[in-house]
This record gives sequence, C-alpha cells and structure tokens, in this order.
Amino acid sequence: MNEHPQWTNQAKALLEASAHELDASTLSRLNRARQSALAQRRKPAARGFIAAGLVSACALLLAVAVWHGRADTTHARGAATAVAANADDIDPLADDDDFYADMDFYAWVDAAEEDPEDYL
Amino acid sequence: MPLTIAVRTDEWNCQSVERGAERTLDEFLQSVERRALRMAELATRNRDEALDLVQDAMFGFVRNYAAKPAADWAPLFYRVLDSRLHDWHRRRQVRGRWLAAWLHDADDAGADEIAQAADTNDPGPLLRLADSQAARALDSALAKLPLRQRQAFLLRVWEGFDVAATAAAMRCSDGSVKTHLSRALTALRRELEDYA
Repeated sequence: MNEHPQWTNQAKALLEASAHELDASTLSRLNRARQSALAQRRKPAARGFIAAGLVSACALLLAVAVWHGRADTTHARGAATAVAANADDIDPLADDDDFYADMDFYAWVDAAEEDPEDYL
Repeated sequence: MPLTIAVRTDEWNCQSVERGAERTLDEFLQSVERRALRMAELATRNRDEALDLVQDAMFGFVRNYAAKPAADWAPLFYRVLDSRLHDWHRRRQVRGRWLAAWLHDADDAGADEIAQAADTNDPGPLLRLADSQAARALDSALAKLPLRQRQAFLLRVWEGFDVAATAAAMRCSDGSVKTHLSRALTALRRELEDYA
C-alpha cells in the first residue's frame, strides 16, 4: 500500500521523466563530473609519491648545501691560515735579481720621464 | 620464482578488486546523478549552478564515503548533496537575498498541522493537467517550497527512501522528516490546485 497520497505517483512519474529528458550537453557535463570525481580516488597514491619525492629532493638539497658550506668554510680557513703563516716570509721581489741589478737604469728612466729635455 | 608469481597474482587481484570497486561506484553515481541534478536545479533554479553542486557532491562523496558499504551509499550521497545545497543557500543569504528565504521559512513555521493532513485516496490536482503543464506546475510548486520540505518530499516520494534513511540524509530526526513531508504535501497540493 502506498503511504503517500495518490497524486504523488504522478508527481514521481513527472520528475522521473524530467530526469530522463536532460539534453546531451548536460549529460556530458554530468559524465565528466563523475569521471573527475572517480579520478581523485587514483590520485592519492600518485600524490603520495610526488610528495615523498619532493621531500627527498629537498632533504638531498639541504644535505648538499650544508656539506658544501662546511667544505668551503674548512677550505677557506685552511687557506687563510696558510696565507697568514707565510705572509711574513714573503718578499715579492726576493727572487728578482735582475730588478736589483737594473736599479740604476730604472732610476734613470724615472728621471728622464720627469725632465725629458735634459736627456735628449 | 613462485614468490614472484604469487606477488604478481596479488597485484592483479588488487587491481581487479580496485577496478571492480570503481566500476560499482561509477554505476552508483550514474544511477543517482540525474535525480541529484534535478534536485539541485529545483533548489537553485539554475542548471549551471546545479551542475557545480552535483559535481561538488560527487567529489565529497567519493572522498569521504566511497569506502563505506554500497548499501549505505544512497543516503550518504544525498547527505553530501543536502549539505552542498545548504551551503549554497547560506551563500545566497550572505549575498543579501535572505529576505525571500526568510519569507519561505515564515510560511513554513506558520503552517497548520491539522489542516495539512493528506487524503491518500484523492487523485489530486496533477490529473487535471496535461503532462507538459503538469510538469511545469510541479517544477514551479517544488521550487517554491522551503529547502527542507522539498528535500523531504524528493527523498521520500521520488527516491523512495524510508523515514530513517531520509532523516540520515537530511541530518535530522525522524519526526522532523514527517513534519517536513506533511507540510510539503500540503503546500504542493495547494500550489497545484491553484495552477489547475
């Protein structure tokens, strides 16, 4: 026995008919909406892989950056120490015997440049 | 080697189960999508907005309830749709169109329970109308109903849900469903009589 008034049967039939008379464009959009909704079920695994990959890549980059930073600091410190240790011992012209041998010549060139008429 | 075969068989079984589950879900959504669209359209009076709401409902349903037993899907799907329809109404109210909704609610609250008692043997007003007229009249009368009354009518009469399933979909008590349905039947009848 129908618990609703009789006229609701006709209302139900009319509603059913209206649902079956939807145009092709609407049905196509419904289909696309359904497929998109179902597609999200497959995405979590892919999304998980992408997230894990990104996290790994970031961790790797961070590790490389930290390692590089330390290596540079050590290298710089080593170099600075070496330079400081040797700085006092270095005379830039120490090995240049020719320079000292020609000191008179360079003095003459300087004087000639200052007053060229005296040397012509 | 046998271990490899066993692992592959398991993978195939999992994929096959997954494909089967997705097909079942697809069939379910296909079975409800047209009615869901018409319900949303009656609420919004706009097909594009109705399509967006149905799509949202599908996404929400698949995300939250796809793992539930298939027997529970229908009330759960309509629960999600009902929630989307409420959100839509709330947004409309925020946009300043609250007055019409308030007037509907005021009509709803002032209804006389005894006068609303339905005569189940009366053939009703729709029989006096040609099909196309009747469809238009019904659409118009349904669109004028408050959201809760319309949902109660559509879920009970069209979807064929029992009171408990309708209450679950509408997140209200069984008593509320009965009240909403009774008021909906009275209002529809009155509206359709006027149309005829």
